[in-house]
Amino acid sequence: MNRKAMKRMAARATQPTEAEPQLKNDFRVLIWVLAIAGALLVIFSPVLISSDLGTGIKYGLDLDGGTWLQLQLQGAVVQAGADESKIIRQEYERLLGTAITVTDVSSNRITFMFNGTAPKETIDSPGYGSSSINVSDNRTSVTLSTTKQQVLQKFLSNRLGTEVVFTQRRDELAYEIRSNVTEESLNSLLAPVGGKVTYFSDAVTAKTRDDTKVILDRKLNGLGLKEIPIRPIGDKYLLIDLAGVYNLAEAESIAATPGKFEIRIQVEGNRTEHVLYGEQIQDVGVPKVNDRGSWGVPFTLKPEGAVALRDTAMKYNATKEPDKHELIMYLDNMVIFNATMADSLAAQMQRAPVSDLEANTGGKDAATKLQIHLRAGALPVSLKVVGSGQVSATLGEQFKLQLLIAGIVAVIAVAIIVALRYRRRRIILPMLATSTSEVIIILGFASLPPVAWLPFVGWQLDLASITGIIAVVGTGIDHLIIITDEVLHGGRLPPIKIYRMRVLKAFSIILMAAATVFVALAPLYFLGFGALKGFAITTIIGVVVGVGIARPAYARLIHESLKGEMAVAEEEEADE
Amino acid sequence: MDADKLINDYIDRTSPRLMVTLPLIVLLLSLGVLAFHAYTSPENLPMALGMEFTGGTVITIDTDETPQQLLNEFSDFPIVNVREAKEYGNRKLLQFSTMDDARQKRLNQIIDQKYSGADIKHVGEIFGRALQQEAVRLVSYSFLLMAILVFLFFRTVVPSIAVILSAFSDIVFAAAMMDVVGMSLSMGTVAALLMLIGYSVDTDILLTTRLLKRTGELKMKIREAMKTGLTMTLTTLAALVVLFAVSTGAYLIVPSFSRIDIVSDISTVLIFGLLADILNTWMLNTGILRLYLQRRGEAA
Repeated sequence: MNRKAMKRMAARATQPTEAEPQLKNDFRVLIWVLAIAGALLVIFSPVLISSDLGTGIKYGLDLDGGTWLQLQLQGAVVQAGADESKIIRQEYERLLGTAITVTDVSSNRITFMFNGTAPKETIDSPGYGSSSINVSDNRTSVTLSTTKQQVLQKFLSNRLGTEVVFTQRRDELAYEIRSNVTEESLNSLLAPVGGKVTYFSDAVTAKTRDDTKVILDRKLNGLGLKEIPIRPIGDKYLLIDLAGVYNLAEAESIAATPGKFEIRIQVEGNRTEHVLYGEQIQDVGVPKVNDRGSWGVPFTLKPEGAVALRDTAMKYNATKEPDKHELIMYLDNMVIFNATMADSLAAQMQRAPVSDLEANTGGKDAATKLQIHLRAGALPVSLKVVGSGQVSATLGEQFKLQLLIAGIVAVIAVAIIVALRYRRRRIILPMLATSTSEVIIILGFASLPPVAWLPFVGWQLDLASITGIIAVVGTGIDHLIIITDEVLHGGRLPPIKIYRMRVLKAFSIILMAAATVFVALAPLYFLGFGALKGFAITTIIGVVVGVGIARPAYARLIHESLKGEMAVAEEEEADE
Repeated sequence: MDADKLINDYIDRTSPRLMVTLPLIVLLLSLGVLAFHAYTSPENLPMALGMEFTGGTVITIDTDETPQQLLNEFSDFPIVNVREAKEYGNRKLLQFSTMDDARQKRLNQIIDQKYSGADIKHVGEIFGRALQQEAVRLVSYSFLLMAILVFLFFRTVVPSIAVILSAFSDIVFAAAMMDVVGMSLSMGTVAALLMLIGYSVDTDILLTTRLLKRTGELKMKIREAMKTGLTMTLTTLAALVVLFAVSTGAYLIVPSFSRIDIVSDISTVLIFGLLADILNTWMLNTGILRLYLQRRGEAA
């Protein structure tokens, strides 16, 4: 017996005890096959379910066409302190035009005095708190029941001309200012009243952001769209994709209009009094045209709204003299409709509250927009369009084809290089199969229905994501080359023990390499401004799928494939 | 294979000092390019900023009007230029600088009414500035995390610094080449730089692991690592060159195709980075490791 034959016998003798489990029983291969099958199922599920010739792949706006908006929520969260007695003194001196003295400050009450008198209406007008007034010897003493925090809130609200609400930050009271302010402007406002800003963030609270999102969603639905993805980016921006919409000007005007509706009544001349806000509207009808060719939106007030309207109207005698008092409707402080009440309406209101009204806007477009805003309600904060765009669908179709061609040619180019290096089909084929499988599995993850709490499934493939896939396949092939070279060190498949050790060594390098790609792109995912999230997700998922599923299976496949080659080689040797 | 012989000759005949010197000269030149750009550009930045960062509006429309006609038509708006570029088909590229909301709105309305199928991209100046900060933050975090990870992997100072230095060199070279070919920084190129940070250390990790953690003759280990590493880089380069060609020049062959800006940008930056990576891994990093191992050998 020659040495070769002895070796062969030894090899065969050890085979049964030391061999890898059969290919079909190897869990690495099983997981891989299941992942591919699952991915294909998800990708082609539309074909299976609805015999519709599509795939589950969702394309981004830059491939499918549409309009996008990037909106900044105008607001800030601040913590600040100020001397409440200074605020009261400063504000009431301005209001009353006379010197005042704050005589008492307690946790829920502030008392001040001034010479002369003033009507209660005037004293209550800044809204610092409910007042009780005592007049003696032409000297007035006013006690406001209020707190330090309420005073500051009201002060900011009055001076900034915007809503200011209480909120929490790290278990401490904070103020949310619902318009665009800067820290400097606040500080210069607070300095005269002995205050300063201790915390400033030019973002709104998560709740305000989410409320805004819900209302905006309703407004955009009014444009005839369903399922509009509105993605918050931090607490400061909202990113909106309007697939299939090619009317940027319209979309911008809907989003950038807060839609605050108010009805006021004319007292006399330019003097008007507030009646109600849009919240008091219960039901909004469809725009319709009247017999004079003018468009309007009918709406129904809630019972308390109707009562408020009647009370205010009767207060100024508008029900009896309707021609002297106009009813004025505002959208975001702009008059959209003003007219005196019809005699019949006035007479009816004299008897009982009337809840059915109509806002006559004249044009059809204005009526449609008003309807959208009345239905959806006002946005808690204004939105500023900080970025926007529109992509045509035809160009997207072309891009898809171009990228498909690029993908196929890229695979061929990679195959040629790999073929030149290894010149063995038994290496090249498993390599290309593994690489292709990685693409399929990534597409599978992307095609899953989106899950809110699972960010790494069901994302849209935009141009950047597709570039990400190609980049990942590039790194994937690299890792397969590392495994191959490590395992085949010396040119031949080693005995099973050494093979296993070498696979481990290869994986120690691959895991390190994959980890660096992961950490390099993680910031883009966690901090990213939205536009490149697809790229980050694709790359991260690609790395995880590659290291966790595809490459372990490859290590097994290459062994199986080369074992076959060895068997062939041995037979050839035996034939000699 | 001839490549084997080339690799052998290279390792046998090149002194570690030369291996280190050449890439360092390239690094200095790249830094010089960035410094020159910073010195000469009005913003004093090492790289030109694209419209995404400066703010502005770009509109692409299909029209038979000449650039001059378009310039006149939009003279009410801050129009910067009109480009008629073959790579975009029969389309004209109108570039505007930032304008106030009212004018922006009017511009959108005009485009909506007059040109169907227009592509519009508008970035506000403030958002652009926020994006700039974001980009700087992203690149720094990404690089820092990569560097920390490399230190954790190797736990020795010189080899870790060698890996980080060569990754740094790759990025600086890619950035300098962007200046040279006149590319500006966009979100796409930032993504490419991040990818480069994560990816360019692959071959360095392979090299360092093979040289430090395996037994065997040094030159032999370098040769084997180089064979694996060059195959890796070449396959990736091949895929990227195809991607670049199809996204940038396909219109020359198929006239209906057009340039895909973001894909072209990403592939260009990665190609530059990987070319630098060949130099930095197999000269700079290899040279440093050889010197380090020699010195360690002498000390032992």
